[in-house]
Amino acid sequence: MPDVTKRSVDPATQQVLKHIEGQPIKTTWDRHDEMQPQCGFGQLGICCTNCYLGPCRIDPFGEGAQQGVCGADADTIVARNLLRHIAAGAAAHSDHGRGVAHALHLVGKGKIHDYHIQDEEKLKQMAKMYDIKIEGRSKEEIAVDLGDKFLGDFGSQEGPIKFISRAPRKRIEVWKKAGIIPRGVDREIVEAMHRVHIGVDNEYKSIILHGMRASLGDGWGGSMIATEAQDILLRTPEPIRGTVNLGVLKEDQVNIIVHGHEALLPEAAAKVVKDPEMIKLAKEAGANGINLAGMCCTANEVLMRHEVPLAGNFLQQELAIATGAVEMMMVDIQCIMPGLIDVAKCFHTEIITTSEKAKFPGVTFIHFDEHDAINIMKSIVKKAIENYKKRDKSRVFIPKDKKDLVAGISTEVISCILGGKYLNTFKPLNEAIINGRIRGVAGVVGCNNPKITHDYGHLTLVKELLKNDVIVLSTGCSAIACGKAGFLQPEAAFEAAGKGLKEVCEAVGIPPVLHMGSCVDNSRILIAACEVLKAGGLGEDISDLPAAGAAPEWMSEKAISIGFYFVSSGVFTVLGGAMPVLGSQNVTKFLTEDMESVCGGKFAFEADPLKAATLMIDHINKKREALRLRPMMYQGK
Amino acid sequence: MKKIYFDVEKCLGCRSCELACAVSHSAAKELEKMISDKDKSLPRIKINFSKDKNYPMSCRHCKDPKCVSACMAGAISKDEKTGQILYDEKKCVGCWMCVMVCPYGAIRPNKKVKIPVRCDLCTDIGEPQCVKACPVKAIVYFEESELEKVKSKK
Amino acid sequence: MSKQIVIIGDSAAGVSAVDAIRKKDKESKIVVLSDENFPSYCRCVISDFLAGKVTEDKLIYRSNEFFKENNVELKLSTKAIKVDPKKNRVVAEDISDNKAEDKKARSAKLQFDYDALLLATGASPKFPDLKGIQKKGVFGFRTIQDTKDILQFVTMADTACVLGGGLIGLKAAYGLKKRGLDVKVIIRSPNVLSQVTDKTSAELIQKRLSENGIEILTGRDVSEILGNGDIKAVKLDNNKVIACQIVIAAKGVRPNTEIISETEIKVNEGICVDEYMKTNIPNIYAAGDVAETFDVTLNKPSVNALWPHAVDQGKISGANISGDSIKYDGSLGMNSVEFFDLPLVSMGIYKESQNHETLSKIYNNDYKKVVIEGNRLVGAVLVGNINHSGVFLKLIRDKIDISQIKDRLLNENFGFADIRDLIKEEERIYVK
Repeated sequence: MPDVTKRSVDPATQQVLKHIEGQPIKTTWDRHDEMQPQCGFGQLGICCTNCYLGPCRIDPFGEGAQQGVCGADADTIVARNLLRHIAAGAAAHSDHGRGVAHALHLVGKGKIHDYHIQDEEKLKQMAKMYDIKIEGRSKEEIAVDLGDKFLGDFGSQEGPIKFISRAPRKRIEVWKKAGIIPRGVDREIVEAMHRVHIGVDNEYKSIILHGMRASLGDGWGGSMIATEAQDILLRTPEPIRGTVNLGVLKEDQVNIIVHGHEALLPEAAAKVVKDPEMIKLAKEAGANGINLAGMCCTANEVLMRHEVPLAGNFLQQELAIATGAVEMMMVDIQCIMPGLIDVAKCFHTEIITTSEKAKFPGVTFIHFDEHDAINIMKSIVKKAIENYKKRDKSRVFIPKDKKDLVAGISTEVISCILGGKYLNTFKPLNEAIINGRIRGVAGVVGCNNPKITHDYGHLTLVKELLKNDVIVLSTGCSAIACGKAGFLQPEAAFEAAGKGLKEVCEAVGIPPVLHMGSCVDNSRILIAACEVLKAGGLGEDISDLPAAGAAPEWMSEKAISIGFYFVSSGVFTVLGGAMPVLGSQNVTKFLTEDMESVCGGKFAFEADPLKAATLMIDHINKKREALRLRPMMYQGK
Repeated sequence: MKKIYFDVEKCLGCRSCELACAVSHSAAKELEKMISDKDKSLPRIKINFSKDKNYPMSCRHCKDPKCVSACMAGAISKDEKTGQILYDEKKCVGCWMCVMVCPYGAIRPNKKVKIPVRCDLCTDIGEPQCVKACPVKAIVYFEESELEKVKSKK
Repeated sequence: MSKQIVIIGDSAAGVSAVDAIRKKDKESKIVVLSDENFPSYCRCVISDFLAGKVTEDKLIYRSNEFFKENNVELKLSTKAIKVDPKKNRVVAEDISDNKAEDKKARSAKLQFDYDALLLATGASPKFPDLKGIQKKGVFGFRTIQDTKDILQFVTMADTACVLGGGLIGLKAAYGLKKRGLDVKVIIRSPNVLSQVTDKTSAELIQKRLSENGIEILTGRDVSEILGNGDIKAVKLDNNKVIACQIVIAAKGVRPNTEIISETEIKVNEGICVDEYMKTNIPNIYAAGDVAETFDVTLNKPSVNALWPHAVDQGKISGANISGDSIKYDGSLGMNSVEFFDLPLVSMGIYKESQNHETLSKIYNNDYKKVVIEGNRLVGAVLVGNINHSGVFLKLIRDKIDISQIKDRLLNENFGFADIRDLIKEEERIYVK
């Protein structure tokens, strides 16, 4: 039997894994074991299947073929593969963003009735940025124009895309010099695919530079548009209390899990499950109500705006079903494992997929059309209630573990908390950094990956950072991991934070790890960085800040794109495992050394989270020194 | 003795065995780490290709080993008890006589470090790593007598 | 039935004969005579010793313990001088004090009676008949002692001339170059290694040697070695004089057959043996560099003085002395050597001729050539990439009909997979 403590450090996860031992249920960990050893050529990035001259691969030992059939060497192949990953990651975020922008446009036009403009202030702020006339116009009229402008940034040919202008002046200069300002979100992705086609771009630096451009189109484009448009339609998150972990599932209620990355779908679900008619139906079916819970980033979205509890992060998706207590898992897009289907077959759980883009063999597809969101959601929820009757109560196993947390700390909220409602400024944070109470800021983000013990990477890294007075901004599955460990509670500062950070958290009443949202909300971290710079005293460019990023358990192509837009924006970023680039020494060196001279940021690959923390802290110290900040108040380090 | 055998019908030529072999004989024992070594350890098993099929090959630990006679430095010997062909890296001078006489082409030079590359059955680990690495079980490890049984079952 | 077995020579052939005899026969008395003062060592590695790449202890092939464990009486510094087949006796002398001028007078005569005798006396360097060849500073390059003598001179020398561009000459040149000397190789033929490999491959090696500072003078011979006592220079046949302090005579070797000159044992170039490694005298065998065996590529007897052959021949003689009747499958010329990172493998017939078809390809320093006679492979040369060269040897030795795979022979990765269907699988490899 596999050692569950090697699979996860999360007690709820361990319990479910133990519980299903011996049952014919395969989880991602089992499949990961079966997959060993994973292909070394893929791992090193030296396999190319881009054309049918191939498949080709480079002999990493220098004995066999050193060039593909077309003549591409390891540098070219590795760089092209990497650019494909960036393009896919940027495409995922951006296509998500496009959907929301389109919805904003339709809401303005009055074609969608189930969603409304909820954050008028942000609508106007964005409209101003795009020079849209505001005076004397209804919010709907503005929304139509803003939606159009957003969509325009996707299709723009010349650029630059609008949100690039939100970056500090110096940063824009850096991008200009490197020639990597995105001209249009879609254009850069399409061009990326063009460049990696056989016989187009073969110079690894040129390929990677375009990858940086495409990723900036994600971070400062697609993802940022997704975040802002979601805020406008669904309101900008504010601090909210919630609970997290598999223990949020309820034994006596109809459990529905929303899973994926959309914000619009769970919004409708959150409304519908509160509908008295639905609750009545649930009671009739013998349940004590309807319990909606979230999984992955969909969970983060709906938690921040509706207090819907979080059932877990990426590696827990199959385990939620394995509790035997889930009537329905409603999925939309991204990070939904097809492995769910087989687990669901072992139970009564019904999986419904809602996106035209994401079908699963044998899984019912119900198109979630924003035009008729509530009605469609009702029909889905009804199916879940119906399914409750099929639940085999003897097989239900819900671990008790759950933790309270505070989430929904958007950039706007941080400045509010720090400066008070009327001051609205990052100054107190800057002062705390300048006077040495807080060492610096870390963005810890990203996925889970069975390559590393579940949540261990996130938690070990975060713990070490907090101990060293580094305040942590977190999103996505990393934020959920932090929530499960209690780091998202203000009280965590007492236990986990260094003395200086503790004093600040105490004074302001915030947790030492700030939950900033889903993975498209990494754009919030970029904006937060800009706000910090505006508040003064910490340099003029993002690369001046005593800050670093990390994705200790990354796995997705989105994570690669995020990593690239962080680094391209000047952030030193540590990835838990190496990207598949080690087959080319040149590309590896470019990413981990030379990139710094191009954009002020660079990557590091470090699988050991403690060592990763040291790298980040060293970097932050270096930046503190460069800014001539005061020594740390309580520690010599 | 237990030997490594290959199933040509199954081998997809993915070369996972090669990588696993090189890694297990490296100092770092990890692909991502050893790949930046200056003098990389090389795979002792190689996939050869002929007429649409892949033929993995590694030292056969022959009953009548040509390499043992040919080794003019006395670095290669046969362990009469286990039947294994042993190799003493310290005695080797890199003359490549063993390469010249191996009828299977199962020994080749590591030109950088001037020692021949040949299978040691991973004796120090206990189990040949290529066997473990093969995703389609095209590499098997057992007694020659058992091989006959497997063959007749098919 | 315990016997008394005498083996003359403790190198490759002698040692492997001991191995083979003791595999079957733990009883018989074995006496091994060696005219050298070192335990069995790796003769071919002396160039690395000369180069300073290996230390003397690394040269040991079989230590004294090996002989003890195998219950063998090893007599070092014991030079066999005569074989008397009628009396079944070997006469030898103790040469441990051979530095003295009157060694003959001082050395005691020794006698060894045998039931079976193995002549594994090896070969000696040929010294050209040159004026000055006896001067101090002229060396052969065959033994540890030769090497040590050369090394004594190396510290005082700045230039060495090597006479002869065969393997021994080039290996000596390589070793001396590594010791920091200016080295000039003087060769009568138009290129190096003319007795080992073809012109194209030899030129690649020659180029590599020149690039690494070894000067090669082809088409030249030495007419005189100059100096009073110590060498000062060599004079070439074009009257050019090259100053040097060391001369290595590497004009080939000659089988050591003197000790049987007064017997009826048949000698051609080397001692003639049958396929059981037996001479024309029933209880006398010969193996190694002294033996003339059937060459499978030339199709006639020949001396192929090579370490692997010596081991195999010793093994077969030993087994047959102990009562087996194992046949030797013949020898062939084959060499593997590497100079300054450029490896060369040459086997069998390498010269172009009317009876043979040759296929070859060259790409930078990678060269591959095969020589075909009818539908059989009879020779191959590989430079640079020598992987899979043993597969060619297999084809040559087993006289495989290669007509089906002829078009693949020069492929980069031509290997065992390509010949699998053509041969008998001696060792099982594949499940199916």
